[in-house]
Amino acid sequence: MSADDRVEVGPASEFEDGDAAIVQVGRVDVGVIKADGEFYALRNECPHDGGPVCEGKVEPRLVGEWGGPGERVDQHYDDDQCIVSCPWHGWSFDVETGEHIGDDRYILPMYDVVVEDGLVYVNDE
Amino acid sequence: MIDPSEHLVVDCDWHYADTFEQVAPYMPEPWKTKFQKSGWGGTGVKQNLSAFFPASTGNRFNYGKIEREFSEYPDGGDDKQDVVEGMDHLDIDVTLQISHLILAMGGISADDRRVESFVKGYIDYMLEEVLDPDEGIYGLAPMPYHDIDASIDVLDRIEDEEAFVGVVMVTAGASPPLGNRKYDPIYERCEEEGYPVVYHTGGSGLDDYVRAGYQDMIETHTLGFLESNMSQIVSVACQGVAEKFPDLEIVFMESGVTYIPGLVSRINEEYLKRSEEAPMLEKKPGDYITDFYFGTQPLEVSARPDLLELCFDMIGTDRMLYASDYPHWDFDSPSVITDLPMLSDEDRKNILGQNAVEVFDL
Repeated sequence: MSADDRVEVGPASEFEDGDAAIVQVGRVDVGVIKADGEFYALRNECPHDGGPVCEGKVEPRLVGEWGGPGERVDQHYDDDQCIVSCPWHGWSFDVETGEHIGDDRYILPMYDVVVEDGLVYVNDE
Repeated sequence: MIDPSEHLVVDCDWHYADTFEQVAPYMPEPWKTKFQKSGWGGTGVKQNLSAFFPASTGNRFNYGKIEREFSEYPDGGDDKQDVVEGMDHLDIDVTLQISHLILAMGGISADDRRVESFVKGYIDYMLEEVLDPDEGIYGLAPMPYHDIDASIDVLDRIEDEEAFVGVVMVTAGASPPLGNRKYDPIYERCEEEGYPVVYHTGGSGLDDYVRAGYQDMIETHTLGFLESNMSQIVSVACQGVAEKFPDLEIVFMESGVTYIPGLVSRINEEYLKRSEEAPMLEKKPGDYITDFYFGTQPLEVSARPDLLELCFDMIGTDRMLYASDYPHWDFDSPSVITDLPMLSDEDRKNILGQNAVEVFDL
């Protein structure tokens, strides 16, 4: 891959977990999100209504565990699963897979992202 | 078209017109004595207007336009022979009896034992006087669900009784709604016993309808059943009853079928925007709903045929159960199913009987 095939996002050191940056890759906007120390790049266009999904909140996913009959469902944030929620209507996607958390038929296209020499890049492919 | 008389027909919603006078001798004390001393017989009050359960008004007989003996609420109540004759009249082989009076239980908010005592008496009465598996007359046991211990007592009572093949949860008035964890012990036990839970709607009266001030039954009868069922379906689906109890069969009765696609569409739309609020779900709530079973009555045969066909497609003909609601004024005879042009004969036979055989293990 040549340098021309990728888009520079910026210094990795400027990202905290939960931060996102929007870059143009080819003809589309891509959100580069740092979550749990890793970088992910997802298309910044919600399949629902075209909203800027990667400008939404990035946070651990709220999950539920049922203890048995009569018990409340224990709801807690799972630090191993991170989601981004579209600011327009709340559709939420797993940042690792791009899949909607409620219906995996809806998927945000994912892009390869790499860190080299302290800089974050998204592949333009 | 098939002839219902030549195929198995299971009616999943037959209303037994019980009376307090019939059931009272079987009720536990002190309610038996309380009732029997209440001067009931001397008041001239009809059995469908109850001082024991709240009254539901609205003229079911269209202010005299409908006149037929079998759809009245007889002062003396039904007896087994009325059921046998009705089954013969409609060409029905198997019926699941539902207490007529218990449908008013949702109007009781007092923390007393009226519902429990009535249900216990009703079950003993039905076992003694009406139910008869040899003649295809089975029962669904009402759950006094606001009292979980009492509900478990009822399940203990019927567990060895072949004549009871499931339970009824009256959807009108259930608060909190029936997806709440409070009801888990009932669902757990029903799953263990293999009893389907039949959610039966109610709440078509004028004065005790969810919003006061309606003037005629055409208004509340259009809305009451629908509103009661929809509110419970949403709760049961979103709170994950089907995930908690995966072998539990869930049946919703008596609101027709055309509301279901709309509800599924709305709940799925909400879910995509608020998925984390239903963390028990492994799929869209609408996908659970279309795995529930639905009684067909009152089937909206006057709907546009393409709408009805779409509804049947969304729900699935393997999820539909023929129900008559007999002898109520708006009952459906089996011909509402056999006459539907878009169904195959196989579909017709499944809806009329075979689906129910599997669900209720008949």
